[in-house]
Amino acid sequence: MSVTTTGNLGPMILQSLAPAMLYVPTPTMNYITVCDKVSMPANGGTTCRFMRPRALQPPTVQLGNSGIDPPAQIPQRDIIDAQMAFFGTGCIINEQVILQDQEGVLAWVSERLAVAMRQAEDLILRDYVVSAASEIYAGGGSNGFNPTNLGVTDFSLVATTLDTNNAYKFMSGIEGMDRFGTGPVRSAYFMLSSTELQSDFDALTGSGFLSQWNYPTNASALPSEYGSVYNIRILTSSEAPVARNAVTNTSGATTDLYYNTVLGKQALTHINQDGYSMNLIYRDPYYSGMLAQNATLAVKFAQAQAITQDTAIRNLLSTRLSNLGV
Amino acid sequence: MAEYSRIAKGNFTATATTQYVNLPFAPDFVELWNYSNIKTAAANTVARAWWDSKLVDGSNNPTMIEIYNNSSAVVFDTIQTNGISAFQAGLSFQFGASQQIVSATAANPIVVTVTAHGYNVGDTVVMQGLYQSSSTGMPQINGVPFTISAVTTNTFTIKWNGSGSNYTALSGSPSGATVRKVLYPFLYLPEDNVVSAITLGATTTVVTTMYHNFEVGQEIAFRIPNAWGTFQLNSLPNVTIPGSPIYGYVTSITDNWTFVCNINSSSYTAFNPNQPVSGLSGLTLPQVLAVGDINTGGNTITATSPLYPPPQFPTSTNRVGTINGPAIRGAFVNNTSQGFFIGGGVANVDTSAAVTMIANGNIVYWRAYLSDYANP
Repeated sequence: MSVTTTGNLGPMILQSLAPAMLYVPTPTMNYITVCDKVSMPANGGTTCRFMRPRALQPPTVQLGNSGIDPPAQIPQRDIIDAQMAFFGTGCIINEQVILQDQEGVLAWVSERLAVAMRQAEDLILRDYVVSAASEIYAGGGSNGFNPTNLGVTDFSLVATTLDTNNAYKFMSGIEGMDRFGTGPVRSAYFMLSSTELQSDFDALTGSGFLSQWNYPTNASALPSEYGSVYNIRILTSSEAPVARNAVTNTSGATTDLYYNTVLGKQALTHINQDGYSMNLIYRDPYYSGMLAQNATLAVKFAQAQAITQDTAIRNLLSTRLSNLGV
Repeated sequence: MAEYSRIAKGNFTATATTQYVNLPFAPDFVELWNYSNIKTAAANTVARAWWDSKLVDGSNNPTMIEIYNNSSAVVFDTIQTNGISAFQAGLSFQFGASQQIVSATAANPIVVTVTAHGYNVGDTVVMQGLYQSSSTGMPQINGVPFTISAVTTNTFTIKWNGSGSNYTALSGSPSGATVRKVLYPFLYLPEDNVVSAITLGATTTVVTTMYHNFEVGQEIAFRIPNAWGTFQLNSLPNVTIPGSPIYGYVTSITDNWTFVCNINSSSYTAFNPNQPVSGLSGLTLPQVLAVGDINTGGNTITATSPLYPPPQFPTSTNRVGTINGPAIRGAFVNNTSQGFFIGGGVANVDTSAAVTMIANGNIVYWRAYLSDYANP
C-alpha cells in the first residue's frame, strides 16, 4: 500500500501567511510622558519664550508710625527661550510593492513611521536632559565605584533637594489599604531610569523599595512604573541613557554609568508649533516620475524643549550593583 | 537623474587638519579637491581625495587620494584610517576609540601624554581609571568632560588644577588609565558644565572644563557641593526671599572656557579642587548651568544691546555648528547635525611625510552624494 505524503505531493503554494504580524519590540517612552506640553501658535516666530515671575520680598518689617511708605520693590521675571526645530523621515515605496504585497504595506509602514516619530521625540528629550540638567552622584551604594549603585539614601537626598527647592510632586500618595503585602505610597516625583537597574531596585526591597505590584491599588500606576522608594516613583525604559564602561574603580574594573532623571512638575517642557506634533504625509505614485512608479510615506514634526524649572530636575548618576543579564 | 538622490557641493578654507561639513544628509560618496595644493604642486601634498562608504579593506573604510609625492610627481595612494567619513550627530554617548594614557602631570594645568593621540584643540575628551595606585593618582577628574586647550603630537592640555597635594602624577602607562573622545559633545546648547576654577571678587570669574557656550546676559545657576568650597554661589537657599532661587548673570566672556558673572563673591569660601582620593565616593562635581537667557527683567538692556544677534556657535575650530536657523542668543537650541568629516589621517604608502588631505589655510572644494541606486 502506498501512502501519499507531503513528501511526494506538496501543497501548490509552499507558504501561508500567519494571521497577524509579529509585534515589534518597542521601548517605553518615559520622557515624553512626564514632560509638560506647550504649543506655539502659527506665525509665532521661531522661539518659544517662557516667563517666570520672581518672588517679591515678603514685607516682614512693620510700617511703624512715621507715615512714610517703604521703598517699592521692582518686579522681575526670568525668561527662558527654546528654539523650534523640525524633524522628519519617510519611505519610498514602489507601486509594485503596494499592488503585490500580501500585507497592507502602507498600513504597517505608516504605523512604523508613527512609532519612529514618537521615539524621536522621546530620544531628543532624553539627550537634552542628559546635556542640560545638573547632576548628583549616588553615594549610598556599596559597589566601590564613583558614583556608587543606588542606595535608599540617594533617593532620600534627591527628593530632599527637590523638596527644598519647592518643586511640585507629580503624584499624590496612595493611602494604605487592608490588603496583604501592600503598603502606602508617598506623594512622589518621577525618576526615569533604566530597565537594567530593576534588579538593583529589587535588592532594596525591605529597605525602602516598594514594587508597583505592592501598591494598595495600581489605578494610578503608569505602565512603565516599576515601584517607588520614599518620595520617588520609578519609571523604567530600555532606552534610558547609559554610558557604557564609563566608570573605573581602583582595581581597574569598569562599569556602566546610568543617568536617572528625577523631576517634578513643569521641570521639563515639550513644545510643538500649531499642532505640528505629527504630520503623516502620503503621496501616491502620481507625484513621482513620468511613469508614476513610487509612492511616499513620511512623518514630519516640530519640536523644541526646555528645562523650565531648573530647581525641579536632577540627573541622579549611578552605577549598577548587579550583573547584567544577557 | 535619479529622483531621490542628493548632491551637494561647497568649499571652505581649512583652519586645521580636520573639518566637519554639515549637510542635510549623510553622504555615501564624497570627493574633494585641495585647490591650494593643486596650485602649488608642492611635494607630499594631497591634490584630490574621494571616499565611498561601501569600500571596505579589512576593517578599514579607506579614502583614496591623488598626491604629489616626494619629487612632486602625481601618484595615487590611500588613507586607511581617519580619512573621510560620514557622521550623524543625533544621539548622545558616541565616543571615539579608547586610548592608553602614558602619563599626566600633577600640575596646573594638567598635561596628559598619549602617544599620537590625534586630538585637536577644541576636541572634548573624557578620561577614566586615573589611578597610579589604589589610593593615588588623579581619579578626581575621572569622567569629567574636558575640551582640550592645547596639543602637541603626544600631549594635550586640560583646564584643571592638579597641583594640589591630593593629586599624584601618572606615569608608566597605568593599567586602566584611558581617554576617549566625545564625538558630539554639543548636541544641545547651552548645557550643564563642570566648574574647573573660580576666582572670587566683586564679580566672579568661572572656568569650565568644557566650552561653556554661554552668552553675555545668560542667566546661570551654580551647583557647588560643600566639599568644593564655594557653595555660597548655589542658587538656594535665599534668606532674603525664602524659597526663591538666586541666579547670576554672565557679564562678559573671556574665552570658550572662562566667563565672568555678576555675583559678588568677595566673602565666599575659596574654590577647592584638591579633593582627597579617599573621599570621592558619591562626591558630586561642581557645576554651573544655564537657566534662562538674555533680556530678562534682571538684566539691563541698553540702547546698543542687540536683541537678536546672530548665533554665536561654533566659536572655535572643529565644532559641529547648527543646521538650524538663527536663534535668540542664549536660547536652548537643538544643535544636532549630519554630514561628512575630513580626518587627519595620513597617506598609507607615501610615508616620507605625514601627508594629510587638508592643512591650515588650504582652500578646499568638495562634492557629496547620496545615491538612489547602489549595487551592492
